[in-house]
Amino acid sequence: MKVGIPRALLHYYYYPFFKTLFDELNIETIVSNPTTKEIMNKGIEHSVAEICVPMKVFSGHVAELVDEVDYIFIPRMISISKYEYFCPKFMGLPDMIRYTIPGVKEKIVSPKIDVADENIAKAKYYGEFKKKLGVKEKELQKALKIAYGKWNDFRNYSKEGHTLVEALDGFDQNHYEVSNTKNDEIITIGLLGYVYNIYDEYVSMNIIEKLKDLKIRVVTFEMLDEHALTKSLTDLKKVPFWTFSNKLLGAGYCFYEDENIDGIVHITAFGCGPDSMIGKILELDSDQYKKPFMTIRVDEHSGENHLQTRIEAFADMIKRKKINLGGGTVNENNISLYGNTACI
Amino acid sequence: MKITFPYMGTPLVYKKLVEMLGHEPITPNKPTQRIIEQGVKNSPEFACFPMKVIMGSYIDALERGAEVILSSGGNGPCRAGFYGQMHEKILNSLGYNPKFIILDSIHRDFKGFIKNFKMITQNVSLCQLYSIFKFLHKMSSDLDQLEMQLQTKRAYEINRVECNKVWEKIQSIFDKTYIKKDLIKAKEKCQILIDDINIRKIPENEKIRIGIVGEIYAVMESSINMKMEELLGSFGCEVRRAHYLSHWIEDNVVPKIFSKSKDGEICKKGQKYIEVAIGGHAQQTIGHIVDYKEQGFDGIVHLMPFACLPELVSQSIIPKMSNEIGIPVLTIALDEQMGVANNTTRIEAFIDIIRNSKEKKYRAS
Ligand code: SF4
Ligand code: SF4
Repeated sequence: MKVGIPRALLHYYYYPFFKTLFDELNIETIVSNPTTKEIMNKGIEHSVAEICVPMKVFSGHVAELVDEVDYIFIPRMISISKYEYFCPKFMGLPDMIRYTIPGVKEKIVSPKIDVADENIAKAKYYGEFKKKLGVKEKELQKALKIAYGKWNDFRNYSKEGHTLVEALDGFDQNHYEVSNTKNDEIITIGLLGYVYNIYDEYVSMNIIEKLKDLKIRVVTFEMLDEHALTKSLTDLKKVPFWTFSNKLLGAGYCFYEDENIDGIVHITAFGCGPDSMIGKILELDSDQYKKPFMTIRVDEHSGENHLQTRIEAFADMIKRKKINLGGGTVNENNISLYGNTACI
Repeated sequence: MKITFPYMGTPLVYKKLVEMLGHEPITPNKPTQRIIEQGVKNSPEFACFPMKVIMGSYIDALERGAEVILSSGGNGPCRAGFYGQMHEKILNSLGYNPKFIILDSIHRDFKGFIKNFKMITQNVSLCQLYSIFKFLHKMSSDLDQLEMQLQTKRAYEINRVECNKVWEKIQSIFDKTYIKKDLIKAKEKCQILIDDINIRKIPENEKIRIGIVGEIYAVMESSINMKMEELLGSFGCEVRRAHYLSHWIEDNVVPKIFSKSKDGEICKKGQKYIEVAIGGHAQQTIGHIVDYKEQGFDGIVHLMPFACLPELVSQSIIPKMSNEIGIPVLTIALDEQMGVANNTTRIEAFIDIIRNSKEKKYRAS
């Protein structure tokens, strides 16, 4: 029995958890290959035209896997914190896939995650494992516990300031490198974006590496403490409903407040509704904080050169300001990059 | 207080509510091209279309002197629940500072509902409030009943636009009622108006019934949906909508034990295809398609606003699902540039296909 895991959406955030879970249950898994143009095209072929890029990518990965495996793992993410939900497309994802990709209908295994405290390791959500994969309750509980432990190791490592790429590496090698802080970076950028956009190298055109090559330190929301993320939202009268969008919005405010962060780059996928809201909120509040903020919109036909030019220009502008001001924070911002939302 | 509210279908009932609570209503204008453009200009690009249009309506009403904006929160975990905050932030940045009063569903946030409701009900006693509510509830269901008759008759009217004219008259008659007794009289009077409409006789087997499903604003507000009901009527189709104001009141305001709400039943019909409530009305959209099929309707027009998150899910599911249960569905996406001519052609073609296959089936039997 083989279970296929699409390398898309929250894969980048939960992989250590689910991988350990299946390993402990002695179930063979196949993870789809990193996104390629072919996968993207398959996704486009099986999706409605207006849907956001990450959903198309996901469909592509499912289409890529479906013939090779007996089951496809598509968790239904409903909620992982009180009063918050996932973007509606996540909540309806298994339904959508079932009705759009040929041959997948009977193969979907879809635990329903609906918890209030980020602890996704409760056996009651994994009923389908028992029904479809013949797993026993006891085994399941044991495996979930181990998986949760591994996932926490991975998350903790990330919170020490490592990107998910580094943390996933650590997980794969079963050894997390102790960080050796080399400090040749001149500026620090807060990079806002969903894990499935930033860490999918095809979608983001590997922006993290590009920034690092420019000697820029990158901070992302996964590196911040969850409490800090929610705390920074307490000023808003009513927070939006979507968990990961809230994490980004919270991170955005943390970045605004943190004087070590010199500028913010928001990566957003074409067609993302929630991002259009949080982007607008951050934009409206940017005047108050006077920090450069750039939005980069990625779509299914992105072009690399343009991205390179834009981040170079952005970094240059920040560097120049820093030098002019003799270091420290930028406290004056007459070249506002605000609203600079060209499509690349 | 000068209070305005979003425009969705006939504004009569909201207007009455504001008036009877002792405030001055600033009735929003029906969204025009200019209002829509204003809204689009001042909203994020990928905000859903209803949010943009309502943005435009607010700006228009504020320019006409509104001080307070009264609105309902959204249905389930979707953006509408966050509309108010978003609108407020943007309006503030444009230099408007209205007071926002947002009524979330009483079933979701009882305390919040009461707290906000108190702000606008200072002038009336609890007892009065109850009777105002009962009155408006009755008014909205009367209006809906009358409108449904028009939705049927419009398909066969001999003088084009007669039904529209009657509908205008009905609204102005109801506008003048304030007590139950008048309401009953008004209804009788309106019934006569409807009965007097001249219609063609069409044999039962040639009648075509279309259900309009989708996101609530797109379904209810004719200025953004190419006047879908009239359009279908002019092609000779009887029409029903998935959303009526009186149903919304049953679903969201009337205490559950007294409510005649069908929402639960409809959602259940949708569950086979969308297992959980995903926000907005996606599950209802699918549920209504199943329901209309069971009622013997001939086809469905599915309306989704541009960038509507939940309806993208239902849109993805519909092609296969409608095939499975055997009812044709035409999905139409609405935005500020809706190609009216192009869509009209699509609808006409859609109706032609339905009519032809119905005829064939009839002849075969
Ligand atoms: S949050 Fe945005 S990018 Fe993510 S699934 Fe929803 S619409 Fe798509
Ligand atoms: S259901 Fe659709 S139109 Fe309504 S708030 Fe949600 S995204 Fe917007």
